[in-house]
Amino acid sequence: MHTLIVIDQPPYGSWGGRESLDMAFSLAAFDQPVSLLFIDAGVLWLKQGQEPGGINQKSVERNLAAASIFGVESLLADTAACHRFGLNEDNLINGVTRIDNTGATLQQYQHVAFSG
Amino acid sequence: MHTLHIISKSPGHTRFRECLGMMGEQDAILLTGNAVTALADSTITLPETVYALQEDLRARAIDPEQDISGQVTFDDMVSLTIQAQRVISW
Repeated sequence: MHTLIVIDQPPYGSWGGRESLDMAFSLAAFDQPVSLLFIDAGVLWLKQGQEPGGINQKSVERNLAAASIFGVESLLADTAACHRFGLNEDNLINGVTRIDNTGATLQQYQHVAFSG
Repeated sequence: MHTLHIISKSPGHTRFRECLGMMGEQDAILLTGNAVTALADSTITLPETVYALQEDLRARAIDPEQDISGQVTFDDMVSLTIQAQRVISW
């Protein structure tokens, strides 16, 4: 049962996005096929150089960069959102696949869940 | 500075638009939390006097290229609220 978790909330401002990341990693840990799709302000989770120490939070950059090792099948990001937030191969963490048609991508998954 | 508008909602949130709509000539806006993503969003135009909380910018790896009025720390934020005749926390 292939799951896609969609994250559209910006990082660190609320817990919804982080909870969804934890859900994805938990699914992967139990060998459930899962992928992550970042859209709208959610793409900012994928930006290099996050330093949330000042707001007493832990960066998720390392976990995301190692997502495939944790068993997450793919890290997808909406190309238009990346463009809107000035993200490109120079400042995106590695392992991100940019996609143009999020609607079509959603069709490929039996179970799709949006973050909180 | 007349009114300081402190906003922590992301630009997509209706309250962000309401805040921008209420901005007067002599007012300033202070972006905190998710609101700082407005500085990374090419579809958002912000008014003249914009401050942003440094810790939130660094958390999200956002360095505002446009010349905003200033990156402020928590301490500066306090003095800003004192300078303003009126503060609205959105």
